[in-house]
Amino acid sequence: MTTSDAWYDQEERMTPDSLLAVTFPLTRWGRNGYEEEPVRAFLNDVHGELVRLVNERASLWQEVQRLRRRILGRENGHDAVLFGKDDAHAHAVQMLSNAQLTADRYVADAQAYSGRVTEEARNRRDEILAQAQQHAEMLLEEARTQARQAAVEAMSRDALPPQNAQERRAVEGELAYLRTFTDVYRQHLRIYTDSIQRMLSDWDNKERTMLPPRPVADLDVPSNAWTPQIAQSRPDPAE
Amino acid sequence: MDVARLKESFARIAMHGDEVPLHFYADLFLKHPETRNMFPVSMEAQRGHLVNALVQIVANVDRLDELTAFLRDLGRDHRKFGALAGHYGAVGASLLATFQHFSGDAWTPELAADWTSAYELVASVMIDAAREDEKRSPAYWTGTIVSVERKAFDVTVLTVQTEPRLEYLPGQSVAVQSAHRPGLWRYYSIANAPRLDGLLDFHVKLIDGGAVSMALTAGSALGERVRLGPPVGALRLDTSSRRDVLLVAGSTGLAPLKAILEQIACLHLPPQVHLFFGAREADGLYDLPALDKMAAQHPWLTVIPAVSADRFYGGETGTLADVVMRSGAWTGHDVYIAGPSEMVHETAARLAGAGTPPDQIHLEDFGWRDR
Repeated sequence: MTTSDAWYDQEERMTPDSLLAVTFPLTRWGRNGYEEEPVRAFLNDVHGELVRLVNERASLWQEVQRLRRRILGRENGHDAVLFGKDDAHAHAVQMLSNAQLTADRYVADAQAYSGRVTEEARNRRDEILAQAQQHAEMLLEEARTQARQAAVEAMSRDALPPQNAQERRAVEGELAYLRTFTDVYRQHLRIYTDSIQRMLSDWDNKERTMLPPRPVADLDVPSNAWTPQIAQSRPDPAE
Repeated sequence: MDVARLKESFARIAMHGDEVPLHFYADLFLKHPETRNMFPVSMEAQRGHLVNALVQIVANVDRLDELTAFLRDLGRDHRKFGALAGHYGAVGASLLATFQHFSGDAWTPELAADWTSAYELVASVMIDAAREDEKRSPAYWTGTIVSVERKAFDVTVLTVQTEPRLEYLPGQSVAVQSAHRPGLWRYYSIANAPRLDGLLDFHVKLIDGGAVSMALTAGSALGERVRLGPPVGALRLDTSSRRDVLLVAGSTGLAPLKAILEQIACLHLPPQVHLFFGAREADGLYDLPALDKMAAQHPWLTVIPAVSADRFYGGETGTLADVVMRSGAWTGHDVYIAGPSEMVHETAARLAGAGTPPDQIHLEDFGWRDR
């Protein structure tokens, strides 16, 4: 393509849309062709890039026009300067816009990061709780099995009511054992759940102390300030 | 005013996409730096709001009735941001400068005159609506968080005292702005019927990465100030109906329904009320103790908790829609549903499908994506 001083003119050029409409010939049998997906992805990239170029070209074209007018004005004897007050404003708008986009990106990144951290915390908590539940069920099941065994043994040894002092003592022994057994397991369980609780609240506290001190924001703004904020998208009270 | 010319001009300007609102706000902030304070740090969502409003206005510029209703709401809505009649001129000037910038050679004196008169019309409708509203209520209410109670891992109940007292109907919600997130407003339902002391409860669910919900639920929120917008929302108790009531609350969707429940409790002859309260896990049934207490006091109230993602849960399990549908016939009930969109719409559709007349089904759909 030859360069021309009229590169901005309306001659027929490749447009972003024409790139998207491009088709490729089918591969022949038995021969490897390009895979379609990467080609499409590449075309998407090219499309995005061309959109950017077109926008840049438009603003450069405006700039060229502006400078041309200045120069022509000077040639015609007007007291023209290359950068006037209007240009300073245009540049300021450009700079402020760029700064705003940077700020937007930072906020979006920070928000995405905090979202990930909270999500991870939530998942970790779910894991801990699931494990605790599993463990508790295991302890209970074990206690149940042992108690069942103890009962079976007591029953099989003598199905009749205790006949004498010796047998009564034996049954009382079994009972005492079972009582102790349940007490011990209850205690185990309590210690276990307490430690889980402690762990969770420690974790919670740590999370809180890790937060940076919050700056004091002032809600009172000058009464002459204007907020042309368009209606926040209200979650429709859909009927 | 040449409507076709305006629409054509706007279509050409809109081709520049995000550049247009970006340019507008930069122009406005440079010419009136004091306006920057009232916007959030990130302007990404704000630019979308502006473009949406412009699209709405231009699309309806020849349907004045619809446009006027939209603009009157917009004008009232802008009071809480601090918009005053005097500021409309500044915005108009920056908007015109922006349109001119993106119109290039197509900008003519006639087009400039069209846009000027269109903006003057828009501004006058918004200003008039705001002025009328001024006679009725303040622009915003200042609130102080007087109690913070963490009810579940990700649900916190805030109690707020306002100045002056905020009058509202049970079921309504207000826009809330945290002192730590200036310029960001999110809607929350008031979770109680009006009280003598005027205190307001809010059930705040922590959304992962949600700017406002994270600020409101942080441990240090006690004593902090918030700003509240005027009460809005169409969900309210049909007091003229003699029908029994079915309340279906998903997670913090409980808030508006609890306010309605408290309102019912004050009625002389309360109807029979079934309240289904659902969450993913038992931990998410954050207000169940208080609801059970109410049910114990009021024989007309039945509370049915349901959990969708824990098959070991001792009570009802499954989605709220499933649990509600298998628990009875609700064709003769007034139904109030609030919670996450999917749950709200599924439950409403299935109730309607089973014969509950649509005009007996009242919804509050919590957007929830971004809080």
